[in-house]
Amino acid sequence: MLVQIAAALLLFQPPQQRTIAIDERLAADAGIAIGDKLIVSAKPGDTGGDTVIVSAIVKRGADPAEIARSEYKVRMHLDHLQTVAGYGDRVDRFAVATRGDSATSIALRDINAAAFGFEAHLSRDIAVGTSRTFQVVSRFHKAIGVITIVASAIFLLCIMLLKVEERRRDVAALRLMGISARTVVKGVVTEAALLALVGSALGVGVGWLASQFINWYYQGLYRTPLYFSLVTPSIVTFAVALSLVLGIVAGLLASLRLVRTPPLALFGR
Amino acid sequence: MVLHLAWASLRRHTSRTLLAILGVAVAAAMLLDMVMMSTGLRESFRELLMSRGFQLRIAPKGTLPFDTDATIADVGRIVATLRLNDDIIAISPVLGSTIHVPIGPRTFTSATLGVNPAVQGDYDLVSGRDPAAVNEIAVNDDFVSATGVKVGDTIQVSTGYDPQLRTYSDSRAMVITGRVRFLYGAANQLATAMNLSTVQEMARRSDKASLFMIKVRDDADVEEARAWIERAVPQVSALSIATALEQVDQRLSYFRQLAFILGTVSLFVGFLLVTTLITVSVNERVGEITVMRALGVSKGHIVQQIVVEGMVITLSGAAAGLALGLVTARYLNGILASFPGLPVAIDFFLFQPKAAWMSLGLLSLSGIAAGVYPSWRAASLPIATTLREEAIA
Repeated sequence: MLVQIAAALLLFQPPQQRTIAIDERLAADAGIAIGDKLIVSAKPGDTGGDTVIVSAIVKRGADPAEIARSEYKVRMHLDHLQTVAGYGDRVDRFAVATRGDSATSIALRDINAAAFGFEAHLSRDIAVGTSRTFQVVSRFHKAIGVITIVASAIFLLCIMLLKVEERRRDVAALRLMGISARTVVKGVVTEAALLALVGSALGVGVGWLASQFINWYYQGLYRTPLYFSLVTPSIVTFAVALSLVLGIVAGLLASLRLVRTPPLALFGR
Repeated sequence: MVLHLAWASLRRHTSRTLLAILGVAVAAAMLLDMVMMSTGLRESFRELLMSRGFQLRIAPKGTLPFDTDATIADVGRIVATLRLNDDIIAISPVLGSTIHVPIGPRTFTSATLGVNPAVQGDYDLVSGRDPAAVNEIAVNDDFVSATGVKVGDTIQVSTGYDPQLRTYSDSRAMVITGRVRFLYGAANQLATAMNLSTVQEMARRSDKASLFMIKVRDDADVEEARAWIERAVPQVSALSIATALEQVDQRLSYFRQLAFILGTVSLFVGFLLVTTLITVSVNERVGEITVMRALGVSKGHIVQQIVVEGMVITLSGAAAGLALGLVTARYLNGILASFPGLPVAIDFFLFQPKAAWMSLGLLSLSGIAAGVYPSWRAASLPIATTLREEAIA
């Protein structure tokens, strides 16, 4: 008797409402909170869709492929989405986890040998294929970077040459006092190197601040946790080394020219 | 006289002058490239959208044309509804799909568009004729190159795959009627065009379309027509050229902002370079300037001479920068043109004379302005004191 009552209670239980997870962008833009009821439908403007409860708000992943896309994302249970979209017993893809690299190769071979209208790919290959856009952007950034480096190199050379040229009278005085050309060149080059070092240190600081601003701005603009600009040790090393080399070269060239000029000529006599 | 003195002064430090011109040239090239990029992409996209005179596109609600696999149902009913609007003069429904073409031992996969050849705005006919009948197909040059087919050949075209039989399904023989160039086609993309009803039937998407292209009367208000369509057909989003450009702006805002930042930096670097050079040059020549003042040369005359020096550097740099900028723009455009799916007709860097002259003019103006302050300061020094200090030095 008790069993019969329990079975009857179970049978007459109202159907449990389906739940969905929405992304934080949609939650913020539409003012949706956990526990809210929504109607979902595959057809725009369809009020007779399926009523669901928002059970979770999902943080967006750091996926570069989604940066420029302003669309919202909703996650549903597979069977629920198949019903709502009228998709039947179909899926777009399967994600398969294996026990290791060797198992992956075997699984890949076996699945492709079966080839029932689909093809298995390594996640790594898919990542390469879908990141072509970013490879293009990366190449573009590198090209822009080279142009910027050329421009900064010329600017730096110009400034260093002018800076050393300004020392004409000092160099002339040192030479007349009997200081050797070698010592003068060493002094000027050291000064130029120091100047380049201090300048590049300042540049690294400015670059770091700019990088922070860029990340803050674009993360807000595209609402993504992605980093758009990174100041890495290798970039800092490259920038400092480049400015140091340019500084030293400019200092050396200008000082050699100065010490080869007679001191009185440097005085304008 | 002013020009002569400025020229003599610049020639006195040839290497310094050349280096400065080179610096300004690189800054000008960068500025030109950034101006070309900030305006070029938008203009190039606008020209592409307007190339066949269709001012409106209709896509599934909330999507952009061909941005997703979503389709619009009830094509016939929608066409009938759209015809109620007298401002609409042409309606071109388009359905996109994928076809498989076995030729010899290989099977080629190609994109295909189902169109109504009488009103289509997706391709230009290169040779042959449109695919008017249900068993006809037109192909692009990439398809011809990859498969080796020619106009008049018959090929087997399939749209599906039967997993049980492991063969392509919905296969039919089709005659190649023409070679076409797709306006929105990406580089190296195999593409074909067929009659809309053929694609609908083969792809099992009866009475469905991926988008509609709409032409409205020239004297009609496009935005009004767009709003009317969205009211009359609620399951679609209607996009005018302006709204499409807004979407593009939004998606590619990164490039515009990058162009703005780098353009501003280039302008600033050019200005700074000329300012530094002129300031150092003026400081070196304080004695000379004071002597000229003592001889009765007016303050304005001295300012003129120094400003002309800055102008010569900036204008020479800008001229060299124009050539350098065009070369680098071509190179950078080549990189960005390899974006997957980007129509071949889109240029990221488009030379627009007005924008180019404006940017180089701005750089030249900044170069001229760079010389004003140091020259005015030097020309305003007290003559007697400066002469005495110079003599002691």
